[in-house]
Amino acid sequence: MKTPFKLDAHPRRTHPPLSSPPAGYFDQLPAQVMARLPRADAPESAAGWRWLALLSPALRTGLASVAVLGGFAVSFFLSGPPAVSPAVASAASLDAVPHTELIAYLLTSGARVESSDLAALTDANPGIAKQFLAATDAELTEALDAQPSEDLLYL
Amino acid sequence: MEDHEILLKFQDPASRNLAFNQLVRKYQSKVYWHVRKMVVDHDDADDLTQDVFVKVWKHLENFRQDAQLFTWIYRIATNECLNFLSSKRRKFLLPLTDVGAELAAKMEADPALAGDEIELKLQKAILTLPDKQRLVFNLRYYDEMPYEQMAEVTGTSVGALKASYHHAVKKVEEYVTRHTAD
Repeated sequence: MKTPFKLDAHPRRTHPPLSSPPAGYFDQLPAQVMARLPRADAPESAAGWRWLALLSPALRTGLASVAVLGGFAVSFFLSGPPAVSPAVASAASLDAVPHTELIAYLLTSGARVESSDLAALTDANPGIAKQFLAATDAELTEALDAQPSEDLLYL
Repeated sequence: MEDHEILLKFQDPASRNLAFNQLVRKYQSKVYWHVRKMVVDHDDADDLTQDVFVKVWKHLENFRQDAQLFTWIYRIATNECLNFLSSKRRKFLLPLTDVGAELAAKMEADPALAGDEIELKLQKAILTLPDKQRLVFNLRYYDEMPYEQMAEVTGTSVGALKASYHHAVKKVEEYVTRHTAD
């Protein structure tokens, strides 16, 4: 039978018999600790931010979120007005082309204006026909009635 | 230098560094061995001992002196040790026994324990205790700290500490008996 181990019967030590720290360790430790202490002038340079340390972690997180969102808002305002939409830009650039060149292009390039093109044009700008077509509603109705039904699909 | 002298000098900015240097010299060995018993490895003990004194420096101005300075420093050291061990466990997702095994392996590799089989068994047995119970065991068995002072260090009642130490001794004795050849 095993002899039960009794702690009281075991020679007592002040600490476990682990290997001692390196020679001179306790002579150097105070200097190492002193070197790690926050310097007296350091808090002054960071005095402007010291109030941050006094806030609770939750408040600091909230403050950081507000700062990020504020940054986004400022960058949005500083980025200027939104760019002109492509449709408006293309209409403006087409306006700059002289009429004679447009007609020459349409006559020589083989481009064919379909009813669907006209339909899309009037859909984008309902009053465009009034700029070049001085017709009354009755005349327009008569002209439309004379069109083949498949071409009216888009009008 | 007495504690009250150190504290008095610490209040004066002109002698603050000198006073703190005296404080470190006075308590460094006790703090180091208190930490070393918990973490075993010298490098870890060195880092933690320095951390403890940096914390002492930061909070010494607010030390209310309703406890002994030594007890207060021990409490800081104890918390640092327990935080270190639990963060190690969290970091590597290790269960309690694995950290104990890691510490035991370090203990086994220590040349100071080579050849002393019973002492090595005893140290391994102590390392099987949960961190807080091991702390109680160390304070009572090695430091022979009175229970009242231990209560101040650990924030636990005297009765609970007595029970914890009693169970720790039983566990240690059983472990060494079980692992010792006839």
